[in-house]
Amino acid sequence: MDIEALDKAVRLKVYELLLAAGSMPRVQDVSDSLGQPIDVVGQALARLSKKRSLVLMPQSGEILLANPWSAVPTQFSVKAGGKDWYGICIWDALAIPAAMGAPGRVTTSCACCGEAMSIEVDGGRMVSGSGVVHIGLPAKQWWDDIVFT
Amino acid sequence: MLLFWSEEHVERWCKQWNRPRGGIMPTETCVKLAYDWYSDRLDPDGRRKTPEEAKAIFDGLGLKDEFWSLA
Repeated sequence: MDIEALDKAVRLKVYELLLAAGSMPRVQDVSDSLGQPIDVVGQALARLSKKRSLVLMPQSGEILLANPWSAVPTQFSVKAGGKDWYGICIWDALAIPAAMGAPGRVTTSCACCGEAMSIEVDGGRMVSGSGVVHIGLPAKQWWDDIVFT
Repeated sequence: MLLFWSEEHVERWCKQWNRPRGGIMPTETCVKLAYDWYSDRLDPDGRRKTPEEAKAIFDGLGLKDEFWSLA
């Protein structure tokens, strides 16, 4: 398998395992599922990270973000496709139902006052919800530190 | 990218944390942005948007000021 095909297979496997299990797969899970050595999968993930297809954890090298999904709990919880997920920001949280092609509900709170807020979406349409979204960094700087962004 | 009850709450939060005011959009616009940006993410050939594609999405949602410039 050439590198391009391998990277694509790894990327798709990450999403496949994520959706099936309802949680981010570990590098070992991807390796086992693809029948590829873990170091080969690790190198593919590093290339995908460099291309900004996903974000790896800084210490372990495990997957932190397979956008728009977050491996770790955040203040943006999402219910879609019968499972519970997390997005790292409001945009990513709203994007999880979009990526799944399913209706969904994002639950979070106002970053200022802590008031509970809920947004229901379906097919790119806001069914219910309110408020405004604030983005701290100009678009050209988003990828300088995507976790902060 | 955070959700706020209102624009007034954004102002209060920026002042409280000494952060500059960034871009603000209605939640409904962010719902559409998320859909336009990510609805093809699970396609076998899904990939990040190119700067040209990103600009077209921003333009389509009326996000046209300098804050949204990728250049």
